[in-house]
Amino acid sequence: MNLFERMQKLDRRWIYIVVALAIIIPLMIPYDSDNVTTPPTENLYQMIDSMAGREDRAILMSFYHDAATMPELFPMEVAILRHAFERNVKVFALTWFPAGAPIIDYAINSVKEEFPNIQSGVDYCNFGYKPQAFAMIMGMGDNIANAMNTDAEGRKLENLPIMKGINNYSEMNLVVEFSGSSAGMTWIVYARPKFGLNVAVGVTAVMAADLYPYLQSGQLIGMLSGLKGAAEYEKLVDIFAAYRDPAIDYRVNMDEDGKKILPGRPFGREILDDASSLELSKITTQTKARFSHEQFVAFSSKYPEHLALLNSLREEEEGKAVIDVTRITPEMRDQMGEFLYRELNQLTRNTQYKFKVARIGMNAQSVAHIMIIVFILIGNIGYFIQKARGQNV
Amino acid sequence: MKKTIPLLIVILGGLIFVAWAFSPHYIIQEVFYNQFYLPWVYASSGFAMLLGVISLSMMHSNKIKRKGPKWQYSWFFFASFIVTTLAGFIGGTQKGGLLMWMFENMQMPMSATMFSLLAFYMASAAYKAFRARSPEATVLLVAAIVVMLAQVPLGVKISKHLPTISQWILDVPNLASKRGIALGVGLGSVATSLKILLGIERSYLGGGD
Repeated sequence: MNLFERMQKLDRRWIYIVVALAIIIPLMIPYDSDNVTTPPTENLYQMIDSMAGREDRAILMSFYHDAATMPELFPMEVAILRHAFERNVKVFALTWFPAGAPIIDYAINSVKEEFPNIQSGVDYCNFGYKPQAFAMIMGMGDNIANAMNTDAEGRKLENLPIMKGINNYSEMNLVVEFSGSSAGMTWIVYARPKFGLNVAVGVTAVMAADLYPYLQSGQLIGMLSGLKGAAEYEKLVDIFAAYRDPAIDYRVNMDEDGKKILPGRPFGREILDDASSLELSKITTQTKARFSHEQFVAFSSKYPEHLALLNSLREEEEGKAVIDVTRITPEMRDQMGEFLYRELNQLTRNTQYKFKVARIGMNAQSVAHIMIIVFILIGNIGYFIQKARGQNV
Repeated sequence: MKKTIPLLIVILGGLIFVAWAFSPHYIIQEVFYNQFYLPWVYASSGFAMLLGVISLSMMHSNKIKRKGPKWQYSWFFFASFIVTTLAGFIGGTQKGGLLMWMFENMQMPMSATMFSLLAFYMASAAYKAFRARSPEATVLLVAAIVVMLAQVPLGVKISKHLPTISQWILDVPNLASKRGIALGVGLGSVATSLKILLGIERSYLGGGD
């Protein structure tokens, strides 16, 4: 067997080893990369964000999958839950699949750890496993409390605070179906035409092509496809929902004009297109909160009792005021209190591992895709050289 | 008679749901659907689950009795079934219980591992199958490479136009073929449904006629 024949008949074990290394190394050594966001992801983000802080709006997350597809779908679910919890969007969750019930608990608990004020039955409600999807989908169009009756903890829905202002799809008017199939079709076929429900899906990458026709026709308002969709959503949450303005005091709920103060900021194309937005979505560890001098004055004036402490932590770097959170000792932390400590950490733009899993995965996918393309090219080079030599191929 | 009654049930059930889908009348929407159909659905779903469990248990116990191929694995079914059921009933299904622990530490990694094997098979299959042997195969190969590159951050670094080209491939040629297939499937489903409603299609009843 000559070299060119060998190029076409590589032992599959070599391919497996190279693909394994291409995945494992970037997972172990994360690097910052830019996941360019696409309209289907942005549309879903904006739709959910339009419900921020509203009592009479909610989203429904349908976890129609088991543990096998979690690597692709779970980061999407976590990113959407984080968005909703950051921006005070009411969330309902259910599954038509018995194996999906623990996934809901796992997702909600993972995100809730970072949001001590979020409460079950007030900010979110888990319906748990519900059989007979078709009947439930149609039933919720008339009355959610009647169709679902109780939540996963057995509490009567009509008694829960979250149900205030929420009756049917007129209020809970967005469903996001997460699945490794085209299960989102059920919502498109039955709930959308009859009740005008907005439908979006989060699907594994292999299923995305099947759902493109519905995206283009507008029957799906958005779609997260595979790990890429999850990575894009994570980035949007970092840039907008998790954004904190150093000058705003988030301890108060209302501003002087009586308007609700919501954490984060609304979606803006100009912000996203600005190169500085990349600084807000880094996946490498960040330990320094950077302020312009005006921002530092505004920030420290929110905490007059800790002004001396903040000034003692302040350093100058490239014309900016910088606080390195690794310099905060346990005593300092006790002194400044949990709220200020959390806010400083948030201003470092450091993202926790669970909120950047998809982007780390996309780095691995980048290298794996390149390696697969290299293998395809090797096979084709061998094929064409042999063909040019007139040998059998 | 053996086939006439099931046939009538199917036709009647089909017609009722056609009426439900197209008529907003109180009797069909409220009396039939909300007051009659929904409670029956809730009640029957538990029995359907029970039927599934009985059927699966019978299949595995028969396999063990007959010592069929790979019968030893059937013991794993019973062991897992009993352990998970007990864990759920005794410890509850919330975080902190045994069921959730097993889910997080056993089911999740094992299922994800099985699914991730797909990446290796896909890489091997892509290497073997993607040869530019004909103009059609070349188009497929080029489209695949462009879409694969545009999917990942590294691709955007190579060329900022890659995502646009990839989106065009997905939106135009891909959708053209997808729509054709979807329309065919849709028309086929309508035709089959009508044939069932009119009693022309009876193969679902079993038998040769």
